[in-house]
Amino acid sequence: MKEFTCTVADPCGLHARPAGRLAALAKQFSSSITVRTGSKEADAKRLLSLMGLGASEGAELHFKAEGADEDAAIEALQAFFSSEQAETERHDG
Amino acid sequence: MTDERFPCRSIQGVGVSGGRAAGILRFYNATPAEPLQTAETDQKKRLERALNGTLSALEALRLHAEAEISAETAEIFEIHAMILCDEEFTDALRERLEHGDTAEEAVHTVTESLAARFRAMSDPYLSARAADLLDLRGQLLEQLRGGARSSLPEEQGSFILVAKDLTPSQTVLLDRSRILGFVTFEGTANSHTAILARAMGIPALVSVGELPASFNGAYALLDATQGSLVVSPDAETARCFRKQSAAEAALSEKHEQYLRTIMNKPAVTRSGHRMLIYANVGDAKEAAAAYRNGADGIGLLRTELLYLSMQREPTEEELYKAYRSTIEAMEGKRIVIRTLDVGADKQIPYLDLPREENPALGLRAVRLCLAREALFKRQLRAILRASVHGTVSVMVPMVVSVEEVRDCRRLLSECMEELSRASIPFSPKPEFGIMVETPAAAVMSRELAREVDFFSVGTNDLLQYTLAADRQSPQLEELCRRNREPVLRLIRAAAEAIHQCGGWIGICGELAADLTLTQRFAEMQIDELSVSVPYLLGVRERVIDCK
Repeated sequence: MKEFTCTVADPCGLHARPAGRLAALAKQFSSSITVRTGSKEADAKRLLSLMGLGASEGAELHFKAEGADEDAAIEALQAFFSSEQAETERHDG
Repeated sequence: MTDERFPCRSIQGVGVSGGRAAGILRFYNATPAEPLQTAETDQKKRLERALNGTLSALEALRLHAEAEISAETAEIFEIHAMILCDEEFTDALRERLEHGDTAEEAVHTVTESLAARFRAMSDPYLSARAADLLDLRGQLLEQLRGGARSSLPEEQGSFILVAKDLTPSQTVLLDRSRILGFVTFEGTANSHTAILARAMGIPALVSVGELPASFNGAYALLDATQGSLVVSPDAETARCFRKQSAAEAALSEKHEQYLRTIMNKPAVTRSGHRMLIYANVGDAKEAAAAYRNGADGIGLLRTELLYLSMQREPTEEELYKAYRSTIEAMEGKRIVIRTLDVGADKQIPYLDLPREENPALGLRAVRLCLAREALFKRQLRAILRASVHGTVSVMVPMVVSVEEVRDCRRLLSECMEELSRASIPFSPKPEFGIMVETPAAAVMSRELAREVDFFSVGTNDLLQYTLAADRQSPQLEELCRRNREPVLRLIRAAAEAIHQCGGWIGICGELAADLTLTQRFAEMQIDELSVSVPYLLGVRERVIDCK
């Protein structure tokens, strides 16, 4: 079981488009991937589930990956969020 | 201007897209179509078909938005498709069916409960997503009915459209030439309607509250920047409004006018190299817009739209009619028709494409067509028949070998023979070319140049395949942006090869519209640049300015 925590940088929160990309990314892995924010939990492979988290800017996301490819999954999540961060900074600048 | 029928009223709302408009208010009529009498009672089957039909419709809307508005707005339909495919959504629907609901009842229940969940969210952007689910509901119900959706008011002329709320799919299909602006009772600054209104440049005012139906037909002043709607203004107010609008419009008009003066000027560089400025379009309506913007021709007619908008494969006759109307819209100017360019990544259920790990590298485009000869020949025959109505070139996508070109030529000849025998007229020698969008084609350009009349470079895919980088991936955006040199070298090699054989070369991918590259393309003696309609005038201006 591997974990990873990050903060939502996008002023719009974890909304439809990045949630869609995140779900598509998570689906590539066989491990189960869940994400918790505050008291809510979601299946990272399900778009509606992710959107239902209502994660806004500044919210902390705690990811848990469990399975054969959990290391690769966490790495991919890290890469995803660091590029999302870069994207947001670009737009602000 | 004050009309006794319509007392003067001033209404506030949220301006979600700037601009002004003055005109008659026309209320959008959402007349539900009669439920289609269907023999199909199996609710599961009906739901499956409705889901598939909606996916196809969403794909068509996505392509339409991508071509006519922007990639960002096209993503909206991509998201809709993702929601539709989400297991939570489809599981909930199937569960309702097991409870004995009809397909319609299931769709109503599930979408409503999900919409309620979203509405309850504190984040305004997320709570606005509830509207998405209602739009999807509308699409699914429409598919179940099998009927066409309501359309614009019948009356002639332009007007300000008024509605309770406009869903994203409705706004994308609005005919801008008739609509001066729109007003909705509901909606938020974060709704997709707002995003689209801004992208389309239509002034819009949302959340004005319920307007009485008696306003239908009243003259009104819409100031989206101020967030106000004045219904039935007095003469003085109306005059001031028009004066202010005129001043604003004059500034952008000046630039527009300048562009129009060059619209019909041949795009010749200062050293005398002539480049044809063509347009990339999907249908006759876009072709007409291209023609009006001075396009010298169509460099890419995407034939996929018709396939995507139907629930079954289009017949030769349907294809012929669609091609014909597009060809005629260009009034004799050349139109390059690209044959079917789809693969497993596109939702075309009736083609029954097996799932692929890497659809971008899979059985798609020409490979698919050569594997499904009957499908391919139907399209080729339709193109040949339509070719008598104008100047038509045929172009095949994703070619990698001379063998593929010869196979296509053989099929094309067979079609010509079949048409001859049936005494159906067609243009005897249509130009035949290929898209250069794979590294293989670029590397083999000398051999390929001997087999075809022209090349057209699909830079989007060529970049992707050459850099081995997914062009949809945000992590690779910078890599793709900084590494265009490999593609430019391949283009130069292909240009030399085709010119040596007496043929021509065009560029129809996104790089064609990149004004920082126009000079280099001129130096390579590229013969044609094909861009989407909004870029036509800008590119022409740039070419004229080149050395």
